[in-house]
Amino acid sequence: MAEIQNSNPTIINAADLPTRLRPTATRKSEYGGIFTSALPLAPVDFESALSSDSEDDNLMEEPIDEQEIYDLISSISDPEHPISLGELAVVSLPDIAIKPTLPDVLDSPLQTVTVLITPTITHCSLATVIGLGVRVRLEQSLPSRFRMDVRIKEGTHSTGDEVNKQLADKERVAAALENGALMGVIAKMMETCH
Amino acid sequence: MSPKVTITHLSDLTPPSQERTWLTAPHPTLPIVATCSSDKTIRVYSLTNFTLLSTITGGHKRSVRTAAWKPHMAGESVLATGSFDATVGIWRRWDNYGQEDGVGMNSGHTQNQTDTSTAAPSGTDAADREEDEEEWRFAVLLDGHDSEVKSVSWSASGMLLATCSRDKSIWIWEDLDDGDNNFETVAVMQEHSGDVKCVSWHPSEECLASASYDDTIRLWREDLDDWGQVACIKGHEGTVWFLDWEGEGSKNWNGPISDSVAESELSALYDQWRSQRALSGPRIVSCSDDRTVRVWRRQPKASQQNGPMSSATTGIPSIIRPTGTDEIWEEDAVLPHAHELPVYAVAWSKRTGLVASTGADGRIALYEERFITQEQQADSDAMDTTSGDVLRTEWVLVGVQDGAHGIYEVNHVAWAKRADRGSGGEEEVLVSTADDGSVKVWTVTR
Repeated sequence: MAEIQNSNPTIINAADLPTRLRPTATRKSEYGGIFTSALPLAPVDFESALSSDSEDDNLMEEPIDEQEIYDLISSISDPEHPISLGELAVVSLPDIAIKPTLPDVLDSPLQTVTVLITPTITHCSLATVIGLGVRVRLEQSLPSRFRMDVRIKEGTHSTGDEVNKQLADKERVAAALENGALMGVIAKMMETCH
Repeated sequence: MSPKVTITHLSDLTPPSQERTWLTAPHPTLPIVATCSSDKTIRVYSLTNFTLLSTITGGHKRSVRTAAWKPHMAGESVLATGSFDATVGIWRRWDNYGQEDGVGMNSGHTQNQTDTSTAAPSGTDAADREEDEEEWRFAVLLDGHDSEVKSVSWSASGMLLATCSRDKSIWIWEDLDDGDNNFETVAVMQEHSGDVKCVSWHPSEECLASASYDDTIRLWREDLDDWGQVACIKGHEGTVWFLDWEGEGSKNWNGPISDSVAESELSALYDQWRSQRALSGPRIVSCSDDRTVRVWRRQPKASQQNGPMSSATTGIPSIIRPTGTDEIWEEDAVLPHAHELPVYAVAWSKRTGLVASTGADGRIALYEERFITQEQQADSDAMDTTSGDVLRTEWVLVGVQDGAHGIYEVNHVAWAKRADRGSGGEEEVLVSTADDGSVKVWTVTR
């Protein structure tokens, strides 16, 4: 990181970012607030039925929606700017989706979180690190019933397919988590997360 | 009429690892398995009572990803383990370790005798042995790979060990068996253009198959003292995570099952099918990030030599590589769609011919091969055993277990001989290994 790749990125005013407290037009789903929100695809029944299977889930789990995913990852810092991924529009609410993983299986609690990442410049070599940061943040924050699908938004990066293949590779991600140097970078990116 | 197969949970292996487990390797002869964990240890469990027998610690600095038992060992078990720390460990244990009469066997290995007086008499009491760290003797660390080791496999004879890594290479080591734990590097193959995820030896020949992040499967043989690639199989549209070989001439398995063929015709069909298969040799089953499970078959040698393609497939001029060593592999079948997420493991039962697959969707799927019966067609072509089209088979999805490990991804599945009290004879169990550290044993019944 000796050389800054994008020295003058476009920054969105923090006041214009989507938040739960002040719902904006960009929100996909209109829910009253954090405690009344409920995902139509995830009835609360699953959570209690499954609680014995998972130590992560044994507290009554609040349904998780796109805004919550956004809140988890938008506060991650860019590895080369002290600016959040939300402010840089690397992640944005319309590019987050939660869908049932196995739509054909009745009662399956599995859900897939898809996050499309828009790198600040099309050749940014840090795209993999940003993607990994997002994936790690989600894996550490969400219950195990979620499957992560973190990808570079189509057409926004010169080697998007290559980066996507790495980010989707469970074994590589697991090995990266054991790599001290890489995890140092990612820990630094997450210092701004709450 | 389509008889289904029932998958029933028999037991968990307890206590489980508290971290992700990657793979469970059944011992070739003893009723034990070795489970590889992200907590840097290998747990050895009994398939007789499903409890932990011992934990191998201290050898690896990062996740243990893979393990394989050396075949044909008498009186001693040898385990190879591969880790994200880029090394391969070799571990040894006397099979009668912990038994009173086993002391004599340990001469020359004095470290093992320290606790024999307090150990269980019959080797069934796990608690006594759990604390004994010298039960498993660390033999040697094979150093050579540049990054995470993903898979290890012993050849049928047990003389060769293949290892593969994210560094895109495959190493073949010869176990010199000199009593000094020396291994010699026989070959390093670097043709893959991505991580090599899995290596697996042919059930009887010295032929290695590898699966890779570059979406290909490759086959390797030794030719004039040089190990080289003899085939590159393309077809999967994503990382090939795992592969397994078909069994050879199992006593208990007579080939594909047919419901609609008369008994009298069956033996003729089998004979014909078997002679066809004998020309091609055992097939390979593979699974991939592309959500598919596929079966691959080698073109019979006879018809292959007539073809002009032998050097074309590998791109190597025939001057360098004699055409006789090249093999042409083609897709035999794409198994019925059963997975919605990457398929991490597949296991071909050497006993029943059933194929099991599992993956990120937490599902275990079972497939069975059956004859497609076209009545009289077989008669006219009965003598033409070289034709590949006379008899055809189809694969049928016969069993699905959703949420095999609850909400967790399942990383591995393997067939093992059943050994608990409820078992009868030659029965098999499935052993599945998951992200939450749990290992489950399943019975499979018709």
